[in-house]
Amino acid sequence: MTTTDLPAPGTATIHPRIAGGPQPYEGRDQRRVGLLFGVTGLTLFTVMALVGLLLRLSQGDVVTVSDAWFYRLMTLHAAGMLAGVLLAMMGGLWYVVRSTVPGLDFRVAMGAYASLLTGVVVVLVSTVIGGFAGAWTFLAPLPYESAGAWSTWAAVAFYIGMSLVDFAFMIYCISMLKAVTETYGGLAGALGLRWLRGRSDTPPPTSAIAATAVTVQGIAAGVAGMTIMAALLDRAMDDTVVIEPLWAKNVTYFFGHSVANLIIYLAAGMLYMLVPMYAGRPWKTSKPLVIGWLATITFVMTAYAHHLYMDFAQPGVLHAMGMFASSAAAIPVAVVTIYTAMMLVWGSQFRWTLSSLLFFLGFMGWAVGGVGAVLDSLIPVNFRLHNTLWVPAHFHSYLLMGVGVWVIGLVAYLLERACDRPAGRRTTVWGPVLMVLGGYGLTFAWYISGAMGVPRRWAVQPDGTQVWSVIGSVFAIIFLVGLFVVLAELIRMGREAWRLRGTRSEPEPAAVALAPVPGSGFRPMVTTYWGTVIAVAVGVAGLFVLYPPVNEMSEWTDKYHHLAHAFQFFVGAMLAAVAGSDPRIANRFGGRISTSLIVVAVAPVIMLLVMMPQIYKHLDDMPVMHAGYHLLMIAFGAVTGFACARLGRVAGWSVFWASIAMAVLFAPGVSGG
Amino acid sequence: MSAGGLQIIVLVVFAVLTLALFAIFYVVARQSRRNVAAEVVTEQGYRLRRYWLAFLALALLSGLVVSAFALPYPSGSGPRTDVEVTGYQFNWTVTPDHVPVGSTVRFKVTSSDVNHGLGLYDPNGELVGQVQAMPTYVNTVEITLDTPGEYTINCLEYCGLKHHEMIRNFTVDP
Repeated sequence: MTTTDLPAPGTATIHPRIAGGPQPYEGRDQRRVGLLFGVTGLTLFTVMALVGLLLRLSQGDVVTVSDAWFYRLMTLHAAGMLAGVLLAMMGGLWYVVRSTVPGLDFRVAMGAYASLLTGVVVVLVSTVIGGFAGAWTFLAPLPYESAGAWSTWAAVAFYIGMSLVDFAFMIYCISMLKAVTETYGGLAGALGLRWLRGRSDTPPPTSAIAATAVTVQGIAAGVAGMTIMAALLDRAMDDTVVIEPLWAKNVTYFFGHSVANLIIYLAAGMLYMLVPMYAGRPWKTSKPLVIGWLATITFVMTAYAHHLYMDFAQPGVLHAMGMFASSAAAIPVAVVTIYTAMMLVWGSQFRWTLSSLLFFLGFMGWAVGGVGAVLDSLIPVNFRLHNTLWVPAHFHSYLLMGVGVWVIGLVAYLLERACDRPAGRRTTVWGPVLMVLGGYGLTFAWYISGAMGVPRRWAVQPDGTQVWSVIGSVFAIIFLVGLFVVLAELIRMGREAWRLRGTRSEPEPAAVALAPVPGSGFRPMVTTYWGTVIAVAVGVAGLFVLYPPVNEMSEWTDKYHHLAHAFQFFVGAMLAAVAGSDPRIANRFGGRISTSLIVVAVAPVIMLLVMMPQIYKHLDDMPVMHAGYHLLMIAFGAVTGFACARLGRVAGWSVFWASIAMAVLFAPGVSGG
Repeated sequence: MSAGGLQIIVLVVFAVLTLALFAIFYVVARQSRRNVAAEVVTEQGYRLRRYWLAFLALALLSGLVVSAFALPYPSGSGPRTDVEVTGYQFNWTVTPDHVPVGSTVRFKVTSSDVNHGLGLYDPNGELVGQVQAMPTYVNTVEITLDTPGEYTINCLEYCGLKHHEMIRNFTVDP
């Protein structure tokens, strides 16, 4: 871990071996992001946990909630909870990565915060006021085939709310990928591959490797989310739009599963730096860790397919891929990350405080949930457990008892550090004890119910099974009592930290000293002469799609037509990326990337939104307008490509290909009536 | 509702592994107070990790291999009784809704509106199998029904506000 010799507060709460030496850097921006994201995430977590208890009590017939309210609260609970823990872990990873990556943009982080929070508010409006109850997975065609339960505007509001959450995650991922890869010598450098191959003496820190792997996957998941959201918005504006159901399932679960899964990996990146503070030992970059993260990228991106095992029409190869990836994903987690965490703790004279205890316990939740997940990922088992209460059982094991506990741990860590004292002893003992008892009691009631075949997402449970909901509710209440015990102490510490603010010296970001890494710094997307020639040639070659016979052929079906639009987008993007890589042009636009981030995330979506049959079918008899429409596609590509160039080589190319993939992905899934 | 043989095995395996994890975390927490040199922990830990990797890989591989021989996808051989099932908000049409005991039933499942999930429960309330009901697709699943009596078809994919009322009987005649 890169450190500075600047004094830092909080030494009374960490391991003496760390407290006696140089401290990991913590600047004002870090503290702001960590606390703002962490506290907001924890607040959402708490509110949504209370909503969850209400749902459980209703399923146990202890309180009465109407079907309409049950399902809209179920939708809100899941979307709000995921957004909350996602936000907190985004802040946690930003906090630790910023220690060694000065290029992380504070304004972008705050933009992501504002977007995500606005998204949650819009989701709240769509569910509570609009009555949207299509579940957080919004599996088409349910959002627009609600049997009269909710109106179109409520569904549209939900799509927009989730898009804002997705947008927040995307700009966060892109800006972090840019900053980390520019600090550690490109993608190969930041993933540790250069060091693995002996081309660099110094490996990147573990948190940087995690940040790079997570953000690459985050961009892929984000564009899938934007694609399905654009398709649903198109359907809302144009009744003739047909969304292919199997395509929608694949895209939706690729997005939803990946983002939910990545929250855990965001947390892992955070813990790589925070756990050593209490163990007094560094979490070193090792070859298994580098290889493990490479494997994680592959497995997390492909494991989503286990959501579709029971869709027998899905190609068998995707079932096989999902089953293999779901099992294999357990290896890097169990053999590298959790195992190394145990090694760090073992015989370390570990400094137990509220935060370190919660970090430790979170690993247990991750492991237990992983066991439940791997078992359910075997197809014959899934045949009996899919969409039973086994599913919420396993994901609550690692999201409630893993990530949820880490969210509380993050806030506790920041406040213990700010107050320069550990949380009270009673709180440290009783809070976690009650949460462990309650949390595992709650999830085990679900596991047993799942084995009995009790369906998930039933407002009224089958006769004779309500007792398990009552038992689960009792344990949920125990968990919440533990949570409130901890929250009360955190509020006390927050007030104390507020009184202490400004009384300690704050190191400024410029004080961070980093050894230069070969290949670091901003590098344009296209740098060499031949690179420029090839890129221009590829872009110009793509213009074949405008050749009249090819253009006519593309009109045979909507799918080919949409594919032609993707080609037009590609042409514009490639040529503009080349132009934007030229320093004579790029230098005119300054160094800020905020606008470029917005453009790369929004322009491809707008391109998909105007790809509605209601718009382009009227243009067939208007040649000039028709040509203008195709030029518009090229223009969207050009704007996107130019903005990509502003993001540099790794982030730029990542987003470039992601936006092209978005346009191509849209083609087979959306057609006209 | 009740757990079938496979579900009980899975639950027991899960419980045993979870208890083992609790024990491991407890032991690690207890050992955390000792003062062992980092080099010693690293050396011993890395050596043990090789065995852990081998054990885990073997266990996961075993699960995959066993699963590959027990896939529920249609095999296409032997006599079958076709049953056409269509889900809609919020019920099922099942044709025919009676089959003789011992039949291997080929359920051809689709939906006329949104995604549903056909979950077949035997007379003891055990979930014996399931398949998704998807608009524009026909998913086919084959299940041999050896227990006579009233089976229940429940919806296992959230489909709207009356999702939990989407229940229909299916009879296996003695």
